[in-house]
Order: sequence, then C-alpha cells, then structure tokens
Amino acid sequence: MPEIISVTELNTRVRDIFSVTPAVNDIWVSGEISNLKKYTTGYYFTLKDASSEIRAVMFNSARARIDFEPRENMKVAVFGSIDLYVLRGSYQFKVATMRQSGIGDRYLAFEALKKKLQEEGLFEPSRKRVIPMYPKTIGVVTSQSGAVIHDIITTSESRYTANILLAPALVQGEGAADSIVAGIELLNKAKVDVIIVGRGGGSIEDLWPFNEEKVARAIYSSAAPVVSAVGHETDFTIADFVADLRAPTPTGAAALILRDKNEIRSQLSSLSQRLERAIDNTIRAHKHAFEVLDARLDPSNARNDLDMRRMHIDDLSKSMDYAFTNTVRTMRSRFDLLDSRLRPERAIEDIKDRREDVEDIMSAISSDLSLKMERYTMRLDAIGERPENRIQSILQDSEDTLESDSKQLEGLNPLNVLTRGYSMITGPDGTVITSVGGLNVGNNVTIRMRDGTASADITKKEMNQ
Amino acid sequence: MTDFEEEVQKMTFEESIATLESLVKELENGGIDLDKSIEIYEKAVILRNHCRKILDDSERRIEKIMETADGLKTEDMRID
Repeated sequence: MPEIISVTELNTRVRDIFSVTPAVNDIWVSGEISNLKKYTTGYYFTLKDASSEIRAVMFNSARARIDFEPRENMKVAVFGSIDLYVLRGSYQFKVATMRQSGIGDRYLAFEALKKKLQEEGLFEPSRKRVIPMYPKTIGVVTSQSGAVIHDIITTSESRYTANILLAPALVQGEGAADSIVAGIELLNKAKVDVIIVGRGGGSIEDLWPFNEEKVARAIYSSAAPVVSAVGHETDFTIADFVADLRAPTPTGAAALILRDKNEIRSQLSSLSQRLERAIDNTIRAHKHAFEVLDARLDPSNARNDLDMRRMHIDDLSKSMDYAFTNTVRTMRSRFDLLDSRLRPERAIEDIKDRREDVEDIMSAISSDLSLKMERYTMRLDAIGERPENRIQSILQDSEDTLESDSKQLEGLNPLNVLTRGYSMITGPDGTVITSVGGLNVGNNVTIRMRDGTASADITKKEMNQ
Repeated sequence: MTDFEEEVQKMTFEESIATLESLVKELENGGIDLDKSIEIYEKAVILRNHCRKILDDSERRIEKIMETADGLKTEDMRID
C-alpha cells in the first residue's frame, strides 16, 4: 500500500526541503519591483526580469534595515531565501535586505516624458475641457474584442441614453500607439461629444502605449474632451495626466460620463414640483392682493376703517390732555417754590433767624468775658488780701473809736450837769435858752432841774454889763 | 404648435433642463405679473415634457467607425 499524505503534509515537506537547500537560501537575486503593495506588515511585490517573475515579501523588520523607499519599477538586488506558504502551496522570496541596483529604464523614460510634457503645460488643470453632461454620442478608442467596449455598453444601458461609436484600436504591443492616435483623430472627424481612450489592466509593458508621447499629444489636440480609462486604480499613465478626466476603469468612465437616469428623473420631478408650487404661490399672491383691494372697496369696511381712525384720534387726544396736565402740574410746583421765597413772613423769619444768630454770638462773647473776669479776680485774690477782711478791720477800728467817743460824750450830757445843781431853761418851743437876749418879759419858760420841771413867767430881764 | 414649442424641439436635453431650471427660479423669485407668470409656467411645462420625452426614449445606436478609401464609414456593432 503506497503512502497517502495530506496536502498540508506535502506543502510542509516541500517547505522543509526548501529550508535546507543552500541553493535557495541566503542568496542575492536581481530584478525589478512591480505590483508593489504596502500593508501594515510590510511590502508585497513581484520581482521580475525580462522573462520571469516571483512573488516577494519584505516585512517591516527588513524594511527598517534599508534607507530608501522601495518603488514600482525600481531595479534592485535582494538578499534572502525561498519560503513556502503552506496554506496556498505557493512559494515566494522572503527579502532580508535590499539594495538599489539602478532605476528601471522604463521608469526613467516615463519620468523624463512626464517632466517634459508637464513643463509644456499639457497637464495644466486650467486647460482641461468640461465633459458634457448629456452627450449624444460617446466615442471609444479601444480594442474591438476586449472586455472594455463590452463593459462600456453594459454600464451605459441604464444611464442617460447616448450613442456609442467605437474606433477599434490595438491597445498593446507593436503599432498600438499609432493605432490609438488614429482612433482619436477618426472620432474627432465624426464629431463625437466625448472620447473614452482605454484598455483593461495589465503589466507595465502592456500599458506602455499609453505612456508614449504621440498618444499624449493626440489626446492633447483632440477637439472632443478625452476621458482616460487605462488599467487599474493604482496605475497612472501619461495618458491619464493629459486626459481631461481620468477614470480608474472603463466601467468607471461610462459611469462618470453618463448620469444615472433615475437620478435625472428625480431631478426633473423635483423641478416639476417646484414649478407647480411656484405657480400656485404666484396665483395665491395675486388672489390675495385682489381680495385686499376688493375688501377696501366695501362700504362696511370703509366705516370700520373710519371708526378705527376715530378711535385712534381719541387715543391721541387723551394722550395730549394727559401730557398737558402733567406739564402744568410741574410748572405750578416750580412756581410755588419760587413764590414762597419772595413772601414777607419769610423775610421776617429770616431776620429773626439772623438775630438769633447774633444773640448766640453775643452770649458766646459775654460768657467768654465773665470767664475772663473770673480769671482776673482769681488773679487779684492771688495777688492781695481779700476785700472782706479788710472791711471788717476797718469796722473794728471805727467801733473802738465810737466807744471812746461815746464815753467822752456821756461826760458832756447836760442832764448830768443838772444833777450837780444846775438848771436848764427852755423856751416855749423847747429850745434851750442860753442868753437873756433870747428872753422877752412875759415869756413863759420851763425850768428843768434835776428832779423835774417848773414853769415861770419872765417879769424882768437885765443884761450883764 | 407654438413658436416656443418648435424652438424646444430643437433643444438638447442639457439646454432644455437648464432653461427649465432658470424659468422655475424666475417664477420662485416672484414679483412678476400674473399674465407673465402664466406664460412662464406654460413654457416650463413644455420644457419639462420635452425633457421627459428625451429621457423615456432609450433608443441608441452602437456602431463602429472605420476610415476607408471612400472616407468615413460606420456600421452597426454586435454586442456579445
């Protein structure tokens, strides 16, 4: 019974054989990078020469070891080993490091032409022609047998209706560029509205005719706008740069040029709705304007209007009264104030006030004076004896004098003389008669003696000699 | 057929829809007297119908073109 193994087992065995075979391990391989794709894990690309190619992968760890960015068409020498992907049974070259061995010739040619045409202004955005929105006829330059024309016809079926005019052309290999140029010229003669120049995806060699100068210039001089649809999303050709619009694929080109019919229909119906609404509004507005005018012509409305105006006038009149009263009131209170200042009572009061002021000042001065007096008195007291004491001593002196004088006077009392035997004669009027001259005969006199009185009549008087 | 209808018949879809759009805007802006408004409306309706007709007509020619000794020549193309 022969041994039967699983696919996995087979792939694993092949991988094991690879891994121990020095001929495919740790070797340098030269080639050109193409179909380069960058993923988070690293770079995936095809390494190829004139006749063969091999898938290659360079993980980020290896990428970190080189000081340049791997690019499409770059000629490189890679160091690494063959590795088999067991899951798919495909082998690839696992790149450990990479050297740049010279920029690809095609790439150089491409860059040179691109630079030249760019400087000439063939890529200027300002010279791009507008793609008609609703073309009647679309011209297509492509292969008659390829999928491109088929895709375009199919895609455009559900879109805005346009005729399609194909100018069959070779799109790869010898004579392709001339064939494409002829196609563009032919369609311009047929006066199509827009031209699609395209082909399906392929290798860089396959796309090469679209990188040729004559094709670029034919696109540039086309009277009809040109949409390029070459290869796939990532492949840019010179034709793409010159074209008025670049579509990633032929299907995309048809979709870009022709609008979706349903979309146009809904645009048209929205316009239609707007139209109906606008005419409705217009009619309604005119009708309303008419009704307003009509209403104003109605006599009952005229009366209403008149009443309204009357009420308005009443309102105004009320406001005016109020304003007037207010003004008068303000003016009166102001007058009263001024008037009160002019009244005589007010003047007297003023004077009283002033007098009180003066009195206040006077009393202030007087109290000030008495204060000063007091101070002087105190000063005098301090200086000498108190006046009271002085008066008392004077009085004492006088008393003493009076006493001695009184004793002296006592001795002189005439009544006391009488006791010693003398008599005193007094006249009728009581006066003491001390001289005969004071007596007349017949006068009644009183003789006072020590123990009483006696009355006598004068009978004779004789004067001493 | 009015003059305007004849005019519209010669219009492309693009011209028709652009004219329709500007008439609608004119009407929307208002301030036009009633007679003129109705005239605009009638024109817009003609244009709308014309556009619809073009859209509904899905007949198209699919041809290929060749240059011969007698000049340009077109012939129908078969779609696979």
